[in-house]
Amino acid sequence: MHTMEEILAILAQVKPGLAPAPDEELVRTGQLDSVEIMSLVMALAEEFDLEISPLDLKEENFHTAEAILALVNRLEE
Amino acid sequence: MAYNSFAYLCVFLPLCWVAWALLPQRLRSWALLAGSLVFYWLMNGAYTLWLLLAAAVTWALGLWLGRLQNLQAETLPTLAPAARKAVKKQYTALQKDLAAAGAVAMVGLLVWLKYLPFAAGALNAVLARLPFALRITAPQFLQPVGLSFFTLMAMSYLFDVRRGSAKPAGKFRQVLLYLSFWPHVVEGPFDRWDQVSPALLDPPRPSYQAVTFGVQRILWGMMKKLIVADRANMYVKAVFDDWTKYSGAAVMLGTLLYTLQLYAEFSGCMDMVLGSAQCFGVPLAENFRQPFFARSISEFWRRWHITLGAWLRDYLFQPVIVSKPMLRFGKWCHGRFGAALGRSLPVWAGLGLTWLVIGLWHGAGWLYVVYGLYYFALQWLGQLAEPALLRVCPALPGLRQRRWYILWQVARTFLLVNLGMLLFRANGLRAALEMLASLARPYTGSLLIKLDARDLWVLAVGAVVLLAVDLLHERGVRIRAALAARPLPLRWAVYCGAMLAVMIFGAYGDNYDPAAFIYAQF
Repeated sequence: MHTMEEILAILAQVKPGLAPAPDEELVRTGQLDSVEIMSLVMALAEEFDLEISPLDLKEENFHTAEAILALVNRLEE
Repeated sequence: MAYNSFAYLCVFLPLCWVAWALLPQRLRSWALLAGSLVFYWLMNGAYTLWLLLAAAVTWALGLWLGRLQNLQAETLPTLAPAARKAVKKQYTALQKDLAAAGAVAMVGLLVWLKYLPFAAGALNAVLARLPFALRITAPQFLQPVGLSFFTLMAMSYLFDVRRGSAKPAGKFRQVLLYLSFWPHVVEGPFDRWDQVSPALLDPPRPSYQAVTFGVQRILWGMMKKLIVADRANMYVKAVFDDWTKYSGAAVMLGTLLYTLQLYAEFSGCMDMVLGSAQCFGVPLAENFRQPFFARSISEFWRRWHITLGAWLRDYLFQPVIVSKPMLRFGKWCHGRFGAALGRSLPVWAGLGLTWLVIGLWHGAGWLYVVYGLYYFALQWLGQLAEPALLRVCPALPGLRQRRWYILWQVARTFLLVNLGMLLFRANGLRAALEMLASLARPYTGSLLIKLDARDLWVLAVGAVVLLAVDLLHERGVRIRAALAARPLPLRWAVYCGAMLAVMIFGAYGDNYDPAAFIYAQF
């Protein structure tokens, strides 16, 4: 199981200056666009050695830091 | 039959609606299909066969995919865990192959009918450098209307069925109706099967509100097209077709008016299209969301031609980046250049490919390649500069909330979009570069090119009205719902005023050239 701190650290690497609350909306507020989401996907795949398929690339999996953490934990199960 | 023609608005649309409304519920989708095929046949004649072929291939592959998925769901639970993984892998591979076959068929159709002469030209340019004489002659075909739209919608259908996010259609006529539905077959939007099929296949009851809202939207689209777009076209056509005669302010005004023309025309066409479909209770996807309020280029493209951007994001950009070769490339980059470039380079490669496809989707020519790469360069440079900007100015995130900074971002985006529009409209790459250079030269002639002062005033007022309506939409005001709540005399005064405005200020008649819809050629 991964932690919220790990996810927030990766978010800050992908988009410098981004430090959201765990339940803060990221996609609809424009804090993460589709290019940044894909940079995040690459970072998550690299950091946690995950296999992310196109089926996982849904807005609901990336709209908050909590959702990203849930996705990472689900993919590792 | 253009969406703004008398034949469409006063004959085809009312006849279809009456037939659709009078038929029993179970036959209404047949009325939509018959109307769609008649509409397409009137525009394309025998070329309708290409659409029928695309629909047949899409339907058959979709059905096959659905059967495989059912078979997989029935078979897997009966197997031992050890065998389950191998069998699942086989089913997955087969479904992947089927979806890929559909994509190859649709891209093949597009290339065959649209891109072959361009590809042959590019190849011949390379061959000309070789020591032996070899030239390729590509057959020239007439391109059926809506080819770039129905092939991409067919692919989205197959990919969605493959991903399990949409159920396949059981009947050929259902896929044919989805691909040929007359409001979206010529200029889009790129509707998704799961979003549009419920209303197409099981149409709702005729409703007074749906018809009045639909007609209002058609009327608004007519105003944009006839009052603004077709009037601006006169100036734009004169300047861009004879660019060597103009410079400075004339080219600048021509570019601004082209941006206004394209927005009024394409979004106006979408109003007519969405309004037409709304009369039949079919909610099509929105293609515009106040694009000139965008603060960045990437935001602009999330507000302009939304369904094309969403299509490319979902079926090209994202799958390419999470593909195995790209992930391997990412790992290689990580090892060579470090973590930051390891995650950025594959994304930029995917982004570059996506912009190249966006450029080529708009037309088979080098100008469109440059047009796509222009936006790629802007987006790439923006991403690249962001960390440096934050280092130089740590207060930037706070500044970005300030009103003046937002206005600056909106103005900067508008300027960059206008440069892109100049590229898009110019008669070739050389003309685009010469026009760009001519912006620095003063222009001493009259700015009343093909238009008189009254026309320019109408355009200025039209632009202000468009901006005001967009501003209301941006603030969440639902104009048609607000109008519907007003007393009947006021509502009718507005409708009559709108119709009178089209009749009085519409750019038609002896002094104007009727302009075909720009996006219909794609």
